[in-house]
Amino acid sequence: MAKLKDIRNRIKSVKSIQKVTKAMKMVAAAKMRRAQERMEEARPYENRLTDAINHLLPDVDRDLLTLLDIREVSKVGYVVVTSDRGMAGSFNANVLKAAHNEIDGIGKENVDVFCIGKKARDYFKRRNYNIIENHIDFWNDLEFSNAISIGKGIISHFTNKHVDKIHVVYSEFVNVATQFVQSEVLLPLVFKSEEKQTFGRLYEPNKKDIIISLIPRHLNVQMWKYLLESFASEQAARMVAMESATDNAQEMIKDLKLQFNKVRQAAITTEMLEIVSGAEALQN
Amino acid sequence: MSTFRLEIVTPTKILDEGQVEYVRCPGLDGSFGVLANHREAIIALGIGEVKVTRNSKDHYLATSGGFAEITKEKVELLLETYERAEGIDADRAESALQRTQERKRLNETDAIRNDASMLRAINRIKVSKR
Repeated sequence: MAKLKDIRNRIKSVKSIQKVTKAMKMVAAAKMRRAQERMEEARPYENRLTDAINHLLPDVDRDLLTLLDIREVSKVGYVVVTSDRGMAGSFNANVLKAAHNEIDGIGKENVDVFCIGKKARDYFKRRNYNIIENHIDFWNDLEFSNAISIGKGIISHFTNKHVDKIHVVYSEFVNVATQFVQSEVLLPLVFKSEEKQTFGRLYEPNKKDIIISLIPRHLNVQMWKYLLESFASEQAARMVAMESATDNAQEMIKDLKLQFNKVRQAAITTEMLEIVSGAEALQN
Repeated sequence: MSTFRLEIVTPTKILDEGQVEYVRCPGLDGSFGVLANHREAIIALGIGEVKVTRNSKDHYLATSGGFAEITKEKVELLLETYERAEGIDADRAESALQRTQERKRLNETDAIRNDASMLRAINRIKVSKR
């Protein structure tokens, strides 16, 4: 049977772990709220930009722009968005598994990978995938300029015709309890074109040039959206994971305390037995 | 003077500029001004400065471009980035400019991209002097 002191030490260490998980949970909750706010803030810009492009696109010749260029697909680029740090339940594993399956479906030799976050880098590096770019260590101070600089390399990889299609695998934030792994086609761009009445409107310099200047901006904001969704999902997953870790620690403390008391009781009983039998021996 | 509502929408923020008298924006083919009751339009913007006149006072912003959507109710500037003249770090812009010039001389990076950074730096310096 375990000694009293050992059990006491274990209770102590479980308690201090519980403190850590509790703190991590609270930090994750705060970060998640901030990420959600930023998602809200990005939405009006994104919507208006998409609207404007949707209005203009029917009147513009697709062939003019390489970013709209639908080519026969022989090589594919994959952008995999994960976090730098773990302790977030199955968040990274889910994204990586989905990306891995899709890439192997196409054949690893036909895929160029862009890794976002340390977890994706480590995962694909270890398995010798064809990695083009890594973007790590920016999550802590995530800015819109990160989205632009990540987007640049990906977009030029497409426009230089190294790949004919670009997929993004990321985790979409639905709510605290639910995050879905999404795989979307980033390039070539597809817009649903609806004919809307825009009579009497002035277009300067002309529709084509407006489209040409808007589409790179649309990609930037798209990239920004992926980063924010992923960041919010990461924090939500971490929050839930740390919450259950705290609960488990509580459960463990309860069990250990029970055990501790049993051992203590047993020790007292043995001691009393010894005293009583000692006293009886003297009387006789 | 009659006024109109101006909003600046960026990926990270919406700024309600309130009622203004005049806006001057950097169009792709040169600057243009907007007064109240402007015709409805969508105009692409390039790197440059935005001037806003509110209560007869001028305010300046540096932007890296976007587009302007002019409707009957209001004018919306969708800008990817913006900086107010007061908030620009002129020293940083100056050193950024020097970096791009150095790179141009050595011819080491993507020229189109470098030229764009150079234009942005020049623009920031110009606006910061307002």
